[in-house]
Amino acid sequence: MRIIRLIGVLAFAAPVLAHSQGRPSVLFRGDAGFVWVRSDTAPAGAGAIRLRGPVLGGEGRLVFNGFSVGLGLSSGTLQAADQTSAKRDLIEGRLLVAARPLPWLEMSVGPFVRAYITDAVTERWVFWQARARVDAPIVTSGLMSYVELWRAVSSQVNLVAGAGRVQGGEAGVTYRPPNRPFALRLAYRVDDAAVRGGGDGSQMLEAISVSVVVGGQ
Amino acid sequence: MTRASVVLAVSLLLCGARVARAQAASDLLGQGVRRYQALEYDAAAALLERSLRRDSVTGLADSLQTRALTYLAATQLFRGQRDSAVAVFRQLILLNPRYQPDELVFPPQVTNLFQEVRRSTKAVAVVVPPVTTMRTRVDPFKARLLTSSLADLTVTLAREDGTPVRELYNGPVADTLVLSWDGLTAAGTPAEDGRYILRVMPRSPTADGPRARQVVLDVKQQPPDTLPWPSTPALLPERTSTGPAFQSLAAGLVAGVAVVALPSLMAQGKDATGARYAVGAAVGVSGLVGFFARKPRPLDANVRANASQRDAWKRRVDAVKAENAARLRTMRLVVRAGPETIAERGSP
Repeated sequence: MRIIRLIGVLAFAAPVLAHSQGRPSVLFRGDAGFVWVRSDTAPAGAGAIRLRGPVLGGEGRLVFNGFSVGLGLSSGTLQAADQTSAKRDLIEGRLLVAARPLPWLEMSVGPFVRAYITDAVTERWVFWQARARVDAPIVTSGLMSYVELWRAVSSQVNLVAGAGRVQGGEAGVTYRPPNRPFALRLAYRVDDAAVRGGGDGSQMLEAISVSVVVGGQ
Repeated sequence: MTRASVVLAVSLLLCGARVARAQAASDLLGQGVRRYQALEYDAAAALLERSLRRDSVTGLADSLQTRALTYLAATQLFRGQRDSAVAVFRQLILLNPRYQPDELVFPPQVTNLFQEVRRSTKAVAVVVPPVTTMRTRVDPFKARLLTSSLADLTVTLAREDGTPVRELYNGPVADTLVLSWDGLTAAGTPAEDGRYILRVMPRSPTADGPRARQVVLDVKQQPPDTLPWPSTPALLPERTSTGPAFQSLAAGLVAGVAVVALPSLMAQGKDATGARYAVGAAVGVSGLVGFFARKPRPLDANVRANASQRDAWKRRVDAVKAENAARLRTMRLVVRAGPETIAERGSP
């Protein structure tokens, strides 16, 4: 419900902000990646589950005068590494509001939803993330590296144990070929979500992604 | 009455007495000339002799002295005292070898006698300006030699202790010779500070020849002003800075290390896959690519601009160097001349 409220607020606020701050630019990103999940949030004795599989996703952003509003979505099907467990669909959604107080620093907040869906059950995580991203040019603005860290300020999961500390990070490099309207990105991401009251249970997600970014410059 | 007032009063009295005596000598000369013109030769001779005696004390101007001597010689001639007239004319010629009596004022027997005495009297005089500011090689110091008749003369310059400095002239002088000294010694160096003696001597001293004359010159060097070196030009950088290259390397390496270290930082104790190494290596390699792409390289336009600036600056330096060398070669000398005196025989 909170997510719907936020989306509503942003939907109304974004055009107003865009109009007030001058001509906005729009940025789209398409991602193709591979995800590894190691989860030991299952009841005791079930052991850790290892999943992996490709994902596809995308993100759109409205950028205006150092502020941006974005919406991202990705999904894929994960197979168990030992082929014993049932496969799961992974769906991630993200909404963000970002500001760039310095040319090399971006701060953003927003909800993040991750769901593992099987035929029988859906495990859904909802975080409110606070993210900080540092960009460092390698060759002027054509080749940039970045490191982004985030932490959940609140988290929910529909597991019995409940959600504990959730945090993660991402680092990579972006290459924008000269005189081309797109950029390429290579990134590595890791998220770690602990469950509360479930002993040492946690879930770690790693992802490698290659992206094409259009617009934004 | 203060002591200063006493000194001032005494000085005024003495000066007043000198002026009064000079005025009296001039008056005596005037009276003597009037008596001469009135053909009262005895009275004229007495007045003129008195004026000359006073003149020796008070220092009348040379023009009045030569006038008095000329009238005295003419007076003695008309008094029938030819030898006395000859002696007075000789004194006159020694005083001023180039003097000529006015033929409109004096009759031919006077001027003829004068010319006769002049021919037989060998006299030489040196005329130098009291103060000369000169530049060696460029603006010479000038002295005039005056002779009553043709004379073979040697003009030398020596230090006060007799050390020869330079021979300035050696040859005949018929009437007048303008002598130039470029301020250099015989070695070609500018004369150093000190006292010098400019001496005019007959080449072959004889009993009836002219007596040697000398003038003491006080020489002082004034170092020339030299130009300051041109300021070095503000040059443009000729190579790009190394900073951007290392920034690129650092950005790539830090991001690569961050990729590898992320699981350790954000998911401690978890068994991450090795996939991060591939991404970390790729990011690190991008840093190396950035390093080589932005490594220092020559800026040809700046190199060319600096070369022309350096050449122009070098030309300015060479010009200043040459100008300063020329200025140092042409040392400024201030020459202060003393009175002309008769050089004693055997003096240095």
